[in-house]
Amino acid sequence: MPERIHFDDQISRNKWKSFFLISIVFIVIVVLGYVISFAFSPDYFFSIMILSIIISIIYVLISYYNSDKIALASVGAKEAKRETHKQYYDVVEALTIASGLPMPTLYIMDSNQINAFASGRNPEHSVICITEGALDKLDRRELEGVLAHELGHVGSYDIRYMTLVAVMVGMIAIMSEIFLRSLRFRSSNEDRRGSIFVILGLVLAILAPIVVYLVQMAISRKREYVADASSVKFTRYPPGLIGALKKIKNENQTEKKIPKAVAPLFFANPFQELASTHPAIEKRIQALERM
Amino acid sequence: MDLVIWILIGIAALIVIVFFSYFNRFATLGNRIDNSLSQIDVQLKRRADLIPNLIETVKGYVKHENAAIKAVTDARKALVSAKGIVERVKANRKVESALKTIFAIAENYPNLKANENFLELQRELTTTEDKIAYARQYYNDSILSYNNLCKTFPGTFFAGLYGKKAKEYLQITESERKNVKVEF
Repeated sequence: MPERIHFDDQISRNKWKSFFLISIVFIVIVVLGYVISFAFSPDYFFSIMILSIIISIIYVLISYYNSDKIALASVGAKEAKRETHKQYYDVVEALTIASGLPMPTLYIMDSNQINAFASGRNPEHSVICITEGALDKLDRRELEGVLAHELGHVGSYDIRYMTLVAVMVGMIAIMSEIFLRSLRFRSSNEDRRGSIFVILGLVLAILAPIVVYLVQMAISRKREYVADASSVKFTRYPPGLIGALKKIKNENQTEKKIPKAVAPLFFANPFQELASTHPAIEKRIQALERM
Repeated sequence: MDLVIWILIGIAALIVIVFFSYFNRFATLGNRIDNSLSQIDVQLKRRADLIPNLIETVKGYVKHENAAIKAVTDARKALVSAKGIVERVKANRKVESALKTIFAIAENYPNLKANENFLELQRELTTTEDKIAYARQYYNDSILSYNNLCKTFPGTFFAGLYGKKAKEYLQITESERKNVKVEF
């Protein structure tokens, strides 16, 4: 370990960063309104400014209180039932005892990949989502390692900052991906009416990669190492997490259902071609083996 | 002149805040220890409640294993009547090993192993075992932070002031830690 990271410092850092992010998003939207009012009609300057401030406040409030729901909806997650997912509930309950954290709401997403993410605005309002693939392919100790990693994100308030970045900044990219997906299902007869959609789609297609890049820049990958360390702190059993990482390395295939903006939230990189979003699995295994 | 008074008031306020915050830190950590202690008790009780059902199910299939069954029932009795956390954790150790014998015996009875009820109880018991181990771990972690606060400066000063003493850990031996990892 190059430096010791103090848990309390990490929590307050995440809270400050979240506050900062919200302020910046707020200002950007207001400035956008300012620019628009100048470009189109300086006569309506005041009404446009007031409108943009109101929109800005609504946007910030909605995304702050619903960022977890937006993230869950963007990957099509469903709430897990206790009767059908006993082991999932058992393991998370045991881990909440080990970590002293409140019980998160549990979700599952339909994917063959081994993956998971945590979200929410604080530990009291936290959610954990895991793929069907992870529940099928991991044994109990490996599952425990992965879920303890996610609880590590919950305890450190990583969830607040990471979800806010992914949702507030990534909104354009998420919308563009959903939009493009819906375009594919359109029949060719509707082409004429669709010309405005094509322009809109083009604008989104240009903006989306920039936005995704911003999201990736804002979420440092150091967090994954810290969450791995928290996982071991809770389970005292590094081989579980190591086993899960090895299975991910050998078995995971690229998942197309996950929007790129929310990819940094995940336990392991959902896309094989995007190398920069996550630390290499080998490095994470090495760090764990030294523990 | 005014400035000096304001500075003095500021310093006094700061001292009061520090005193309060240390008092609160001791209180919070103390509460955390009490909570984790009761969490251990909750899980031990859960385990004690599951055992009679298990014994009933096992008796339906297993003959001539009265000694093993009696060992579990006795260990459970000792657990229920044990006073104090240290005694209870010790009694729990006996329950754990007695249960292990039962589950080992169950391996020889395919009908029992296929019984839905038995599998459910086995899963529940394994989970409670995990939870007991984690509750103890969290208890010791909480004691660690409490003791760190008591033994490092300036915590020592405040510990003396508020009459707080370092607390005892729950001892977990190496072999016991291994017992906890039961797989099925």
